[in-house]
Amino acid sequence: MSTTQTHAPALELRGLSRSFGPVHAVKSVSLSLYPGEVIGLVGDNGAGKSTLTRMMAGTIRPDTGQILVAGENRTFETAQDARRAGVETVFQTLALVPGLDIAENIFLGRELLVSGPLGDMTRTMDVATMRRRVQEGYERFGLGLPDIRTKVAGLSGGQRQVVAIARAVLWGSRIVVLDEPTAALGVKQTELVLSFIEQLRSHNVAVIFISHNMQHVMRVADRVCVLRLGRKVFDGQMSALTGTDLVALMTGAATTVEEVKTT
Amino acid sequence: MTRQQILTWIQRNGLFFALVLLVAIFSFASSRFLTLPNVTVILLQNAVIGLIVVPGAMLILCGLVDLSVGSVAVLAAVVFGQAMENGLGLPASLLFGLGVGMLWGAFNGYLIAINGFSPIIITLGGLAGARGLAEFITQGYTTYGYGPEFAFLGNGKLLGVPVPILLFLLVLAVGLHFWYRAPLGRHMIAIGGAKDTAAELGIPVKLVPFWLYVASGVASALGGLIVASQLDGAAVTIGTGMELEVLTAILLGGVSFTGGRGSLFGVFFGLLFVGVLSNGLIQINVSPYVEQVAIGAALCGAAALDMLYQRLERLQVPIDKEPIEPVTQGAGGGQ
Ligand SMILES: Nc1ncnc2c1ncn2[C@@H]1O[C@H](COP(=O)(O)OP(=O)(O)OP(=O)(O)O)[C@@H](O)[C@H]1O
Ligand SMILES: [Mg+2]
Repeated sequence: MSTTQTHAPALELRGLSRSFGPVHAVKSVSLSLYPGEVIGLVGDNGAGKSTLTRMMAGTIRPDTGQILVAGENRTFETAQDARRAGVETVFQTLALVPGLDIAENIFLGRELLVSGPLGDMTRTMDVATMRRRVQEGYERFGLGLPDIRTKVAGLSGGQRQVVAIARAVLWGSRIVVLDEPTAALGVKQTELVLSFIEQLRSHNVAVIFISHNMQHVMRVADRVCVLRLGRKVFDGQMSALTGTDLVALMTGAATTVEEVKTT
Repeated sequence: MTRQQILTWIQRNGLFFALVLLVAIFSFASSRFLTLPNVTVILLQNAVIGLIVVPGAMLILCGLVDLSVGSVAVLAAVVFGQAMENGLGLPASLLFGLGVGMLWGAFNGYLIAINGFSPIIITLGGLAGARGLAEFITQGYTTYGYGPEFAFLGNGKLLGVPVPILLFLLVLAVGLHFWYRAPLGRHMIAIGGAKDTAAELGIPVKLVPFWLYVASGVASALGGLIVASQLDGAAVTIGTGMELEVLTAILLGGVSFTGGRGSLFGVFFGLLFVGVLSNGLIQINVSPYVEQVAIGAALCGAAALDMLYQRLERLQVPIDKEPIEPVTQGAGGGQ
């Protein structure tokens, strides 16, 4: 994984800050994310994880700071802008329609039409191609999901999470931000999601993984970034740390790695 | 088959087989029932409702409703009649009639789809308002006698098929295409079932329902004009109770009243079911009151099936389809 560090960052945050009235939710956070890297973003409640996520998703604007995608400065006015730039955020709401099947959900709002003027004029969908693409995605990422024609209403929580993430990568996003994808999932369901995140890494997708579960973070993350009261207090290789170290950093019992190591 | 599969199957195909059963019973009871002339009569009697049902079902799929259809139909007919009376000529008068429907639909769409007013309240207002307006315009004086050209709309035939049936089949074909083969079908399901999600994904959650209301208005106006043509008069009784007939076909067809689920084929069968039932009961000389009771019972049956189906959908988490073995790769720390 260390080879990835030699490439340009897929996503770079430079000094992002955002306040809500008197509350400094995020204070000058910088972060670089490389292709094929999974960053665990952790922090106590109110640390600013979701606020940071929403800035990357384009749903709120930073007060100061810059967001660079593949080295290019970007301003996200809307969620659409972020998506178009290749940054896909999967919130806990998942944005899936239960009454549609998996393939339909994956292409929802971006349906492919039969090529040629006739297809355009009559708005005829190319259903076969859409299904094939989803099927290919299943195989490429080794998705353990039911048949692509299964209604999302009939899927479990973990399976839905996987569908939502799969949609992001099948649409070609190279940067995926996941806000607590394993919250409220059982053991087996969690495993489904975590193994999919590992698949993403091997397909060179850059992932920001937010979780309150240190075991999950330690399992999938290459690097970890700890936020506390809006500030980044740690950013480094996961391998150097234990779960206890992380908790110490999150709660402020320790403020530096050195301190962590000596306590 | 498991109990779940049986229920799913009934929900999907029950109406179709109920229809087949009904046709079989009536054919057995009356030799006249399953003849070409009688089938034509059934279709002709339901063509006008059928025209209006197509956009109506799409609105319900989006979680909306149009109760003003019958009143817009009579208003369009009356405006057409007045235009003819004032010597505007047939083409201009037809345009006036259809234009009224379009405007009323746009008015509904503007208030409901764009500005978020309650669909039931606004179109209930239209139900009273448009008919009241029609009565006001006529001042109790019904215009009639529009000549043979206009009569063709309601009574004419093309290639041996009555024009209203052709118009209905045309609208149905276009509707089926958009429902099943165009992105619109999925978008309507998304709007009706998860509006916020649809908006988040860039689906035009306001414009789609707006245009559906316009379509519903135009279809209602066309329906009103067809009836006016058949009667050769713009009677103020046109379209009375039409909204209930439209809703019956749609709900019998299994479109969920809360939106997000339903099939246009089902709606077509729902329409035929009501048509076959009323025609067949007349054929075998059963009191017409029985028809109402039978339709009511069928609706209750459809509602019960719908509820069972919804419960089932929630239960359907496929435990047996849980992913095979998870891919266990080097855990976190492994660089
Ligand atoms: N829209 C808002 N208006 C006002 N304050 C806000 C808003 N959003 C977040 N905050 C505040 O900003 C701070 C950071 O919140 P944020 O939701 O980013 O934390 P978090 O790390 O995601 O916490 P959790 O683990 O509970 O999800 C909190 O103090 C919160 O109260
Ligand atoms: Mg949060």
